[in-house]
Parts: sequence; structure tokens; C-alpha cells
Amino acid sequence: MIAPRSSLPLGANGVAKGHLIDPAACVACLACSRTCPTNAIRVRDELARIKYELCIDCGACVRACRHGAARAATTPPSDLARFEHTVAVPSLTLYAQFGRDVAPARVLYALTQLGFDAAYDISWMCEMLAGATDAYVNEGRGPWPKISVTCPAVVRLVQVRYPGLIANLVPIETARELSGKLLRRRLSAELGLAPEKIGIFFITPCTAIMDSILSPVGLEQSYFDGALSIAEIYGPLLHELQTAPPDDAITDEISPRGLLWAMAGGEIAGMRDANTMTVKGTDVQHVFDRIEAGTFQGVDFIEAYVCPDGCVSGGLTVEGRYAAQRNIQQIAKSLGDSPAVGEERIRRLLREDFFAVSEEIRARPVQPLGRDLREAVARQKELKELIPMLPGKDCAVCGAPDCATLAEDIVRGEASLDDCVFVRIARLEDDLRAREARAHE
Amino acid sequence: MAAEATAPLLVERFAIQGGDYEHGGDAAARIKVIMRQLGIDPDLMRRLSIANFEAEMNLVMYAEEGVMEFQVHADALRVIVADRGPGIPDIELAMQEGWSTATPEMRARGFGAGLGLPNMKRNSDEFEISSTVGTGTTVRYAVHLA
Repeated sequence: MIAPRSSLPLGANGVAKGHLIDPAACVACLACSRTCPTNAIRVRDELARIKYELCIDCGACVRACRHGAARAATTPPSDLARFEHTVAVPSLTLYAQFGRDVAPARVLYALTQLGFDAAYDISWMCEMLAGATDAYVNEGRGPWPKISVTCPAVVRLVQVRYPGLIANLVPIETARELSGKLLRRRLSAELGLAPEKIGIFFITPCTAIMDSILSPVGLEQSYFDGALSIAEIYGPLLHELQTAPPDDAITDEISPRGLLWAMAGGEIAGMRDANTMTVKGTDVQHVFDRIEAGTFQGVDFIEAYVCPDGCVSGGLTVEGRYAAQRNIQQIAKSLGDSPAVGEERIRRLLREDFFAVSEEIRARPVQPLGRDLREAVARQKELKELIPMLPGKDCAVCGAPDCATLAEDIVRGEASLDDCVFVRIARLEDDLRAREARAHE
Repeated sequence: MAAEATAPLLVERFAIQGGDYEHGGDAAARIKVIMRQLGIDPDLMRRLSIANFEAEMNLVMYAEEGVMEFQVHADALRVIVADRGPGIPDIELAMQEGWSTATPEMRARGFGAGLGLPNMKRNSDEFEISSTVGTGTTVRYAVHLA
């Protein structure tokens, strides 16, 4: 494990996390545990705890918490002071936060007025990746369909729940990390600074990207030094946007096709291959189940997001997801539809292996019920006997999100049957009846 | 067979109803959950899941009713799918890639590409099929644990 570069609070096992539960604020209300799509939260001893080995960093708990306990742990702005030159790289979703009439160039300029020495756009990199993905899918090597790695929570979901689909993940690095890689190389040369003196920060719409910076997948170390949330810089940025930038302020070319990557469907919209599909939110697991069963042979490529509409619906955004989608579409439209990236450039970078992930993506399968097959089978049998003893109401009061999960916790030795209030009430009633019967004798 | 002689460590049975497309695939999905809990190797899990799903959908499409039995042995995972149904008149023909009797309705649902039985065989380490016309079909297949 690589030491985190930013001074973040640490989660379980001393590993920095992009989201965590603050024990001081937690009221043990069960909201997070019931919403978690991978049943990774337990509420016991008046505190919700994330079992990070099951967690896919989707941030659903952060959205569900009404007490500010489950929260994002993004980079504290004071971290910027540790660098000689600071750079902001905003998620495309940031452009969608300020209505239809604020051009991306103005947002980038406003970021420099907030204290960053520079701000860079990644839309052109997204457009380039659409071409690289087309080229990869065209090579025609199975298994099918290929699955995009753009959403870090989807990658974690595959690692944890669908290890059989790791071979389906497109081994192309994300647009944000590739931009970070290029920027660090370029700025270090241009400014004559050591690469580590340059602080590159992502402006993130979700906790999942923060988590992917802290513990990257397919990459030894992130090219980013941290991430600030769109929500926390929204106010100051809105203020800075009132000042019009000088004409020559930002020269970055914005790619209208790349901009659409902020929303679900944007990634495949820029691809030549039309045999593609977008899957979002809770449907992702249904579709992945079907892919594992081998019934998606007719599809070449799937872009998947754990958020309901892609990045514009990330948990750390301000603008509502419907308005944000309209904004980004209108902004893209106003920029025209000419490609911002030449195909020759994509082909050259492909030949250099520029886009490839640098490390193998590994499975992180859920811990089996036992240490070996025999023990696991014995516990599986215990599990089957336990299920009818539980009420099946999935009330979550025991601390596990549903009865089946409680049964699993019991056979793993992490909970007991007495944790179930219905079981306890039934036992008390039995005792009472027995006592009454004795009194009548 | 020697492997059949040893009692399985675990047996789970699932009833499957012919024509029930809504729940077609549920048995395969539940077996997958069990395999995950048992810590089965992802590649084996993937291969057996593909075979299970094909077997289950074949049953849903063609038979009246049947049972999928999942057995965990120390050296293998075995599945027996037995149905009451029309049976297969020519098994050799049915085992050929691309051969299918699927109706347009089944094809509309994405099935009936004639990949079913050969695909099951390809994804298992043992494969056996027997059928009596007018009575039903039994398929047995297994993947070997390393």
C-alpha cells in the first residue's frame, strides 16, 4: 500500500478513504446500511461502520445520511500550500453547474482566481479516449461485452462482486488520470520544477473518484495529489464567475463531443461502434448478472455508472441532474460538432501504448464463508437452517441490512441470533407463557 | 462412476417452471451466490454459471417443469437438470452449433441462437445428456475443482 500524499483522516486499517463515517455525528439510524448496494454497512453498538472489503466507494451512504456522519473526505484546501505550483483539473460536470450560458473557458479562468496557478480541461482527452476505445473494441478480442472503466465505483463493483468480468474491463486508463499524467510531465518541463513540487487536484463530482485517487486500480499511484468537491468550491467559484476573464485568459480547446462524457450516454455517443449500451444506477448489477450468465453476446461495449445519470448526478454536485444534463448538452451544442482531436494523433498515441492501464486490475472477491471448502459448506448449511428462524422482514434493526445478511454475519461469528428483535420478543413471550403456566399449576 | 460414489458435501435443489420467463435464470443466480459464499474460483464460477443459465433457459423454453440440482463435491461441482417435457429426438443434431428449434418469440427474447447445448458442453469438464421423446431430458455436467 502506498502512503497517501494528502493529509486525510484515515479509515479502517489505516488506509485513507474518500468517504467515511464520523462516529461523533452518527446517530445509528440505519439509513446508510439500508441504501448500501453491496450490504457493506453494519450498525452495531450505536454506530454505523463500513466494511471496506465489501465497499465499492459509490457514495450512496453519503447521500443517504441526514446527520452529516457519512461524509466525503476530500482534500483539505490547506494541502495546496504544500506545492510550488498548483493545478485544478475539473470534472466536466463542473461546467454543468452554472446554467447554459457560462462557457467552460470562464469556469477554468474562475478556478485560477480561486488560488490555483492554472486550470486545465479534460474534454479533449475524453474525445481522444472515445477513439482509443473504438480502436480497442475493433481489435475484436473477447470476452464481450467490453465494460468502461470511467466510473471508479463500477470498477470496484467488478473487483468485489463480479471478478469473472475483470477480463471484460477495457484496459484503457481514465481521461482524468491520463490528463494528470500529461500535465505533470509537461508542466515539470515547462516550469523547470520537480514533478513532486507540482500539486495537481481534481475537482470531483463524487467520492468514488476521491477514493480512486487515494487507492487507484490499474495504476500504482494516481497522478493527482487529491481532489476537492464541486459542492465545496461552488460558492466561491460562483462569486469569481461574476468577473469576466480577459480575452486571452484560457486558450484550452474544448471538445464538444468530450463534454458529453459528463452524463450517461456521452461516452458511447462519441464512438463509431454503435453496438453499445449505457447502464446506470441500480440496474448495473442486474446487467452484470446477465453478462456473467453469458447472455449479452450481441453487445460490444457498455458504459456503466453507479450514479443514476452518470457524473452529473454525482453525490458532491450542486446543480440537479436534469438541469445539469440540459446545461452540458446546450454548452456542447453552442461549441459546434467538429472533432477537436485529429485521428492521426490518436493513432500515434495508440502505437506508443499511451492509453494502456499500467497495472493489472485484480479481483477483490468477497471473503468466503469458511477457510476451506469443507468449512464453507458447513457454514452454508448453518446459513440455510438460520434463514427460517429469522422473520424475513428485512427491517435492519439488528444492524445488518436484511435477514440474509444477518444470517451470514451469524455464521461468520460476527453477530448472534439475539441481535434480531423479533427473535428476542418471541423468546420473551415464550418465557412469559411458561411462567404463567407454572403459576397456574 | 467413481466420483458419483462419494456423497456430495452439499446438495441444493431448485424447481423450474416451463414457460416462466420472468423467473428464468433465478436458479442459476442463486447457485452463483452459493458459489461466491463458498469461495469458488472466479473462472470456474463463470463457466458453471454460463452452463447453468443455458440449462435453465432451455428448460423454461421447451419443458413443462423440472429440477436443477447443484452438488458440491470435494473435487467437483456437479449439476443435474432433469425435466418433464417433449424430449430431444436427435441429440447428435441438437449438439451441433447453430441448430435450434426456437420459436420466433424465443428468438425475440434473445434466445435460440442454437448455442445452448454446445455452449454448456464447452464450459464444463464433464457433460452428459439423455432424453426420451415424450418423457423428458436429463443433462448432467460438472466443473472440476483444482
